[in-house]
Amino acid sequence: MAMSDQPAQIPTTSKRDFLKYILGGGLIAWGTSILYPVLSYLKPPPEGGVEVTSVKVGALSSLAKDSGTIVRFGNKPVIVIRTAAGSLHAFSATCTHLDCTVQYRKDFGVIWCACHNGKYDLTGRNISGPPPRPLDEFRVVVQGDDVYISKKS
Amino acid sequence: MSGIWQKTYQWIDERVQLGNLVEFMGKKYVPLHRGSIWYYFGGVSLFLFIIQVVTGILLLLYYKGGEELAFESIQFVMSRVAFGWLIRSIHSWAANLFILAAFIHMFSVFFEKAYRPPREITWVTGMMMFFLALGFGFSGYLLPWNELAFFATKVGTDIAGVIPLIGKPIMVFLRGGEEVTGATLTRFFGFHVAVLPGIFTVFLAVHLLLVQRQGMSVPLGHEEVHGPSEKAMPFFPNFLLRDLLLWLLVLNLLAILAVFFPWELGKKADAFAPAPAGIRPEWYFLFMFQTLKYFPGKIWFLDGELLGIGLFGVVALLWVMVPFWDRKSALGKRNRLLNYIGIAGVFYIIVFTILGWLL
Amino acid sequence: MLRAADQCFVCHSALGDEASRLFSRDIHHLKGVPCAGCHGGDASSADMDRAMSTNAGFRGVPKGDDISARCAACHADSAAMARLGSGLPTNQFALLQSSVHGKSSTKGSERIVQCTTCHGAHGIVAPRERTSPVNPLNVVKTCTKCHGDPAYVRAYNPSLPVDQLGKYRTSVHGKRNAAGDVNVAECASCHGSHGILASTDVKSSVYPTNIPATCGRCHSDAAYMKEYRIPTDQYAKYSRSVHGIALLQRNDLGAPACNNCHGNHGATPPGVESISKVCGTCHALNADLFAVSPHKKVFDERRLPECETCHGNHEIVAATEKLLGVSPEAVCSRCHNAQESPAAYGVAMHMRRLTDSLDAAEARAKELVEDAEQKGMEIGEAKYKLRDVRQSRLQARTMVHSLNEDQFGRTVGKGIATATWVAGEAQQAIDEFFFRRRGLGIATLIMTLLASSLYLFIRRLERAQQRGRTASSNSPIS
Repeated sequence: MAMSDQPAQIPTTSKRDFLKYILGGGLIAWGTSILYPVLSYLKPPPEGGVEVTSVKVGALSSLAKDSGTIVRFGNKPVIVIRTAAGSLHAFSATCTHLDCTVQYRKDFGVIWCACHNGKYDLTGRNISGPPPRPLDEFRVVVQGDDVYISKKS
Repeated sequence: MSGIWQKTYQWIDERVQLGNLVEFMGKKYVPLHRGSIWYYFGGVSLFLFIIQVVTGILLLLYYKGGEELAFESIQFVMSRVAFGWLIRSIHSWAANLFILAAFIHMFSVFFEKAYRPPREITWVTGMMMFFLALGFGFSGYLLPWNELAFFATKVGTDIAGVIPLIGKPIMVFLRGGEEVTGATLTRFFGFHVAVLPGIFTVFLAVHLLLVQRQGMSVPLGHEEVHGPSEKAMPFFPNFLLRDLLLWLLVLNLLAILAVFFPWELGKKADAFAPAPAGIRPEWYFLFMFQTLKYFPGKIWFLDGELLGIGLFGVVALLWVMVPFWDRKSALGKRNRLLNYIGIAGVFYIIVFTILGWLL
Repeated sequence: MLRAADQCFVCHSALGDEASRLFSRDIHHLKGVPCAGCHGGDASSADMDRAMSTNAGFRGVPKGDDISARCAACHADSAAMARLGSGLPTNQFALLQSSVHGKSSTKGSERIVQCTTCHGAHGIVAPRERTSPVNPLNVVKTCTKCHGDPAYVRAYNPSLPVDQLGKYRTSVHGKRNAAGDVNVAECASCHGSHGILASTDVKSSVYPTNIPATCGRCHSDAAYMKEYRIPTDQYAKYSRSVHGIALLQRNDLGAPACNNCHGNHGATPPGVESISKVCGTCHALNADLFAVSPHKKVFDERRLPECETCHGNHEIVAATEKLLGVSPEAVCSRCHNAQESPAAYGVAMHMRRLTDSLDAAEARAKELVEDAEQKGMEIGEAKYKLRDVRQSRLQARTMVHSLNEDQFGRTVGKGIATATWVAGEAQQAIDEFFFRRRGLGIATLIMTLLASSLYLFIRRLERAQQRGRTASSNSPIS
């Protein structure tokens, strides 16, 4: 039954005890240095978020008619427009002229770029000013009251 | 033993009768000789596998499979999850160290001829686990769905497709379709976290059981060790504690690697982009990859690549079956030829891995 | 090469027909080319039947493309022209064929324009003659024959304007041309004569990217322009400007060529009060802000050309912070100094300080983000916000034109706030990087402690075991 043929005599002088304390302490410290990261890891970080081929814009009810909002899609801005008639459109908000961020102008009824007065209509086409190309369009999907945008394939 | 441990032991013993087991374990001895150091590598492999399982489960809590989210979820783990960077880098590093340790373990067993009867099944199950480990590596590599992995998988499964008759079906089975797509990712994920672990566990159980039952093998010419002697060390507690010490150092090594050489993520895979320059598989496949490059397009009437794969297949089969055809070792005689072949093999693998890395 | 007298001409001029009356002054006639040279037949015979017989090659009055083919029979043949002693070019017909005029007319059976359409048929003289329809002073009338007729032009291109003549006459070129100056530009100077291409054709001399060079043909020639006493460095300056680089090097058709600011046919440099309107067709926001700024009234009173005063006209370079402020190179200090206009001086100085702060904040934020990125830390969101900082900088540059300190301050303030946030995030990422290394150090320390104590424990255990074994082998009980 024994661990060896003779029970190993472990004399209990203070030196030997000291080692056991070190060993025990070391074991506890090591255990903590493993457990602390693991437990921190298990706690979910504040943003639920993994994003980027699809982004939830928010509630449909939060998007007023005849208004536009800028949303972050990955690391690029996207402008989501709800027309007066209620339909939704989403475009890349990076102006095709010199990369400024565009906005929706209610008074013009078009997407407008503050930097050099570029204008795009609600199909994203460049209709006035220096922009050379239309804005890339994004797909808008409404599920219940939630609005999602995703890349057009 | 102090009081509480005694009481716990008694409580369990009353229910499970640990007596026999403890007696058996107490009789386990590890032979001491020039090659004893190699005994540790089996344990190190096991430890690294356990690390993989633990870090793998932790990663599972945040990983999102599917081509839309896989890459981003790993990015999320690396940047937003507390210590996520640590867990992920350890997982990637330990994978490589695991395969390295397995290589060393395999070759040390080979050179010591530890596979000779009665340990043939131990060898075979070990080889199965080795192949599964390569499968783990191949399937896991794709999971971040980054550019390098995508193309490496394409090339790797292309090679599988070269095998005549069964190659194409195998390739389609692996890929979940004709091409590498999100379906491939889903499959590989399933392989990596369910299928391979399940099969691996079975082989591992058999392997460990046999090692326990049969005890440690000794080099040719030595006599077997069954009891205490100058030439043996008790497994409990001596060898075990030493094992644990080594495992502790390996863990520290992993932490250092994770901090100073964090595992990269690269760019997200894009099926429509052209393949970047310098696509190659992970280092443990490099020697085969490089060898195949040297095969000419056609030899006689056979396709060069097919011949190369066939050659690897034959060599692998011979290697797995070595306990059964190495008559000399079975009879306890030194097999010089086999040793030279083994050394040549190690040399070949090292040289071609380096070549594959540099070229 | 006078052979026998041109009998066709002799008879027909005796008959008094219009063609021969005109032909008497025609350069072909003066050079000895008979009527038969174009109409065929035998010019040496006085007998009508012989002279005008088809056997002799008489082809009657040519119609449609046949007309130009007859002209080209000589005028496109360098050998023939040499024999006739002419040094004229011979590429006109080829150019016409590939030009927009060479396309088929609405009839479908012939080209829109034949040689005679512009040059006339019988009274053809050298272009330098005052009576030639292609003399610089007459070209405009010749072109307007078709291009000023709305019904005619509509049949080919309904959107093509027909008011070019009217506009031209308001321009400097048009006025001088009407006064008899043959050196100023008329239709052919810019559009070409034979190889005229549509302005939408990339090869056309009036395609936007080619316009500066076309204008420059005269306006950059110091010798040619000597009598007009206007500068000839506009093209050189323009090609160094942002507009020139955009149009000429990047082929950005959104950039203005000469005609966008000066006009096409009615080319006149814009008047002093209208300059900001002209620039404002693209730079609308800046123009609107300027129009309500204190500068507008003052500039107009002092007859200062609005945008041009600070930005120049041809050599407009990228406007940077250097233009703003009170340093010697800034434009503000040209008018405002600390003694005479302290308020304005203060505003200029303050605004410059604000943009400098924004620039500094942006630079610092960028630097930190780069550092964090290089260290391998994930910094995506902060990097994304840098766009907003850049946007603020661009908007501030526009807002400058209002000269409104509050508005300007607010725009800049937003940018600085964002830049500060970005810098904070980046600094956090960098701190995390060092935290990891420190954490590793501590973990390694712990593990080393544990490992060494474990090692000592093993050694102690084995020594004890060793002693136990020796004791037992020495003991009598065994």
